[in-house]
Parts: sequence; structure tokens; C-alpha cells
Amino acid sequence: MRILRIGPLGITTHRRTFAVGLALLAALAALFVFALMQGQSGISVLDSLKAVVGIPVGAPADFIVGQVRAPRALTAVLVGAMLGVSGAVLQSLTRNPLASPDFIGISMGAGTGAVLTIWLVSATSLWITAAGAVVGALTTAALILALSWRRGIVPLRLILAGIGMGFVVQAITQYALTRMDVHDAGNALGWLVGSVTGRTWTHVTVAVTVLAVLLPVILWHARSLRTLEMGDDAARALGIPVGVARSVLAVCSVLLAAGAVAVTGPIGFIALVAPALALRATRSAGVTLLPSALMGALLLLAADQLSQLMPATLQFPVGVFTAAVGAPYLLWLVWRASRGGPS
Amino acid sequence: MRKRAVVAVLCLVALVGAVALSLAVGAKQIDLGTIWNSLAAYDPEDPLQRIVRESRWSRTLIGILAGSALGVAGALMQSLTRNPFADPGLLGINAGASLAVVLGLTTGLATGFATQVPLAFVGAGLAAVLVYAIGARGAAAGAPVRLALAGVALTALISSVTYAVLMVDDATLDQYRLWVAGSLTGRQSEDVTALVPLVVIAIAAALVASRQLEAVALGEDAARALGVRIGAIRTVIIVLVTLLAAAATAAAGPIVFVGLAVPHLARALVGASLPWLVVVSALGGAALVLVCDVIGRVIAPPGEIGVGITTAFIGGLIFALMSRRMKVVEL
Repeated sequence: MRILRIGPLGITTHRRTFAVGLALLAALAALFVFALMQGQSGISVLDSLKAVVGIPVGAPADFIVGQVRAPRALTAVLVGAMLGVSGAVLQSLTRNPLASPDFIGISMGAGTGAVLTIWLVSATSLWITAAGAVVGALTTAALILALSWRRGIVPLRLILAGIGMGFVVQAITQYALTRMDVHDAGNALGWLVGSVTGRTWTHVTVAVTVLAVLLPVILWHARSLRTLEMGDDAARALGIPVGVARSVLAVCSVLLAAGAVAVTGPIGFIALVAPALALRATRSAGVTLLPSALMGALLLLAADQLSQLMPATLQFPVGVFTAAVGAPYLLWLVWRASRGGPS
Repeated sequence: MRKRAVVAVLCLVALVGAVALSLAVGAKQIDLGTIWNSLAAYDPEDPLQRIVRESRWSRTLIGILAGSALGVAGALMQSLTRNPFADPGLLGINAGASLAVVLGLTTGLATGFATQVPLAFVGAGLAAVLVYAIGARGAAAGAPVRLALAGVALTALISSVTYAVLMVDDATLDQYRLWVAGSLTGRQSEDVTALVPLVVIAIAAALVASRQLEAVALGEDAARALGVRIGAIRTVIIVLVTLLAAAATAAAGPIVFVGLAVPHLARALVGASLPWLVVVSALGGAALVLVCDVIGRVIAPPGEIGVGITTAFIGGLIFALMSRRMKVVEL
């Protein structure tokens, strides 16, 4: 056990969690540098790093690294972290490793919100689309809650209601796509694919803003989250305002997922897999927020690098790769659960 | 018995009404007299009668075919897995059929409808076996949710592979667009007519097998005591579900939730008797798909939206509401 203190923020952490966190950070840094260097053009490491922070180093590096590779890699890192934390909070709140914003309709709701803003106001500004995604995700989450609320919330009922709502909001998206004009529809479709290709510093700014607002709030409530895992009664006995803490955390988780969808479009399975891998690596008894964030960032950045390494005819959006890894993991979870293990 | 017969007759009346709607409503409204004439005294010179004969009939036929196949497939699947959330669309069986067709198109194996249907059957069969093996074992606590999640995961996996193939191959994408829309248009009526005997035979076989399946639903020991060969009947049911789901997908593209919602409503009307459930699900499924198609025709003028979108919207709501009614014990 050790306690990290940064100003008023105190994080109790196990030695192993700390070590895993450092290792993940190191791996992430290495992969980030690799992402900057990857591809032809022969720009040195030093020049690349200078270009990222905006020190002019000459023609090719300033553009290729500074305007193309750096925003893309940073977007992958930030969105991966958002998805990792969002999934970790949701899985902890529902006490179920199968809960993930991309399965229970929340990411799809965010997508519908964004597509509706593109349709109704022909939005091209990322900030407006992001606002639409947030409204869509919150509305969907509220509907899921309302549909599954019956003298309290049962996590599995929540998941089922979420799967149903996912189909409903996707139908709305499809309807909007058939109704909007061709130019907007192309715009919306390109975004619905879920990709970090061609992201700019504006995307990075939106992602940083969302993370900077929400992550401190979630970390502030991290202790409540761990205590809630022991059950409502225990949490109440320990003086946690159960209702408030849970609502704040749930809203933050939904907003993080919505922010991620707004920046990159829906990318599946990171929010499902990252927290589980983080738990496994740290062998922690409860939710591990920062390792989940780092794991999510590492996974998405790695998936994006993998997609770039493929030959030119096989350049798929990153979501295809995350699904190819994440879906078998989910099937394995279900399979293990049906053998009578913990579900 | 009498109540069930009344329900079945009412479903038949509803289906006839839905057929009339499907023939009459569209970009051009056609009155019932003209429709009747197009059947009884066909006059090829009358443009309205030609619309009915040449475009709306095949569309209606596809709707009946896909709807009844999906309704019966859902009823069988729900009884087999003893799981209220079993639906060929939700469980990834339709997605499996689509992937097989896409692979066939891209390798040049599937050149026409006649080769696409067997491929759809193979894909649907593989997906059905996989999802059954992963998610349907045991009736222990949590089984319904596991099966639904296994279906969602399998669908995601299959769709990402399908998508990857389509990204690479533009020619396949062009042909595949007709499949994914979940639409009753875009098929040649001769092609679909060829599927009719298949679906009729599969539904008849489902009726014959349903008594035995009912015995299995009582529990394995009880079924053995009644002399039912459990393994054989399970195999037969999976084959029938696969046939029906693949035929529906081949005819109308992947449509979700018809197989979920229709048997569920049918059970509320006729109880647990499986033969009646099969009959009512077939009639109700056909009526539902036709009504959803008509809604899709009028909701977004001057365009149309595919029947798959309408059923996903309505079915998704029903699914979410069903989860609300589930007892915690069942979860």
C-alpha cells in the first residue's frame, strides 16, 4: 500500500498497481514515439518530438509529424483513455464485466445524436456535433434507466434494456441517413465508421477538454466507487452518499463515452476490454481507474498502428481491428460464464 | 382449443388485411376494386393493374415469406433454448448468412440467387451452432442474458469481417447493398418463388416436430420417459431454424426482432402449446412484416425506408420493455 498525494487528491494504491501503471505509461510513451516515426520520410526522433510541441524544425517534419501524425496519435491516446475509464466506471457500478457503453446503447445513442445534428443543422463544426453526441447519449441513458427501473436497478435488466435501446437508436440513425441530403449523409457515414484517420488538433482539443473536466470528478469519487462495490449498505455505513455518488459517476461515464464518440465516431470493444485487462494486470480487488485509462490508450494506439501497418489494399478503420480482438473476448466471457463461473 | 382456433382465424384475417394494405398503399394509391380486377380479370393495358401485378405482388410475397419464416424460426429457437430472447436476427444467425453470401460474392462462388441461397444456409448454420454452443448451455441463472450477449458479440465479430471484405471489394459492396438494407424490393420474383416450397416444407416440418420439442421443453428426463430422442429432435430444430432464417435473409436481407416479438405476442394469445404457437407465429410474422413495410413506404415520402429499419425500431422497444417484465430470478 502507498498513498500518492497530488495537492488535495489522494490516491491509495497498491505497490503492484503503481508498478503496472508505470509500465503501461512507459509502453504508451514508446508506442507514441513509434507512431510519430512510423512511415517513410526519415525524420529523427528529436525533430519529431519538437514538431509535436510546435517548435519549427523544417518543412516535412512540421507538416507530417506536427499536423498529421501527432494529432492522430494523440486522438487515439485520449479517446482510448476516455473509453477505458468510461468502461471501468460502468463495469464497477453495475458490478458486471459485461457492461460497456458500446453494448448497452449509450455509444449508439451518442452516434444518433451526432447524426441528427448533422442532419438538422447541417453541422460541420466538431463542437456542435459533440454537443449533439452528449445530448443523444444522455437521452438514451435516461431512457434505458427509465425502462429498466422497477423498484431499483438490476444490472442485468439494465444491460438487456440497453441492448434493445441500441437497436431503437440505430434505427433512428438509419432513418436520418435516408432522409438527409447526399452531402450530409456522406459526412455522417464517414464519421459513423469509427476511425482516428485524419483527426486534427481541433479533435485533440475537444478530447482534452472532455477529459480535463470529467477525469478529476471521477477520480474525486474513486473512493466512493470502490466502496460501492462492497454493496450499498456497506457504503452507506461508511458514510458514502450512495445516491449522489452513483448518479455523478454514471453521468460522468456516459459523458466520457459520448465525448469519445464525438471525436472518433463509435469504436467498439475498448471500453469492454481495457478495464478487464487492467484488473488482470494489477490483480486489484476493485476498480482501477488510471490503469484502465492507460490500458485503453495503449490498446487504441496499438490498434491504430496495426491498421496502418497493413498493406494498402487492407487499410481498414481501426474499429474493425478492435472488434476482431474484442468480440472473441466477449464470447469467451460468455462461454466461461455459461460453464458456471462468475458472470 | 376453441379460443386458439379463434385466435388463429383472427391472425389469418389480419394477414389478409395486411396483404390488401401492402397491395394498395404506396407512391400510387390503388383502390381495392382495381386490385381485385388485377387478380380476377387481368387487363395488361391498365397501368394500375400492372403496378399491382408486376411490383406489389412480388414485394408482398417476399414479405409473407420472410415474416412467416422468421416468426416460426423465433418460436422454435425460443422453445429450444427455453430462452425468451432467442431471435435469429439478434443471435447473429442472419449476420452469418450475410457473411457467407459476401464471401461467396467476393470469391466469385456465388454468381446468382441459386448459389447464394445454399451459401446463406451454410453461414446461418455455422452461426447458429456457434451461438448455441457458447450461450445456450444450461438453464441456470443468467442464461437469457448470456445468450443475448453471445449473439451481440457474434454479430459484432461477423459484421466486422463482412465490413472488412466489403471495404476491399467495391463490386461485392455494390451487390451486397441490396442485401443489407433489409428491404422487400430488389429481388427478382422468380428467385423468391423458388424459396416458397422450401419455407412451406420447413414450416410443415416444424409443426410435425413441435409436439416432440414440447416434450423436450418439459425437461430432459421427462422427454426421455416419453420416448423422445432428444439429440435428434434438437438437431432437427436447429436445421429448421437455420433453413428458415437463411431463406428469410436470402429473400429480404437481415431483419431483426420479428422472430423475437411475434412468438412472444403469440404466446400471450395462445399459451405455451407449440403447434398453435407455430401457426400463429407464421401468420402474425407475415402480417407484422407487411405492416412494417407499408409504414416504411409512407413515413418518408418521396423515399422509402427498408422494412429492417422499421422492425428494428419497433422490436427494440418491445425487447427493452420485455426486459422490464423479467423477474430477477430469471436473470
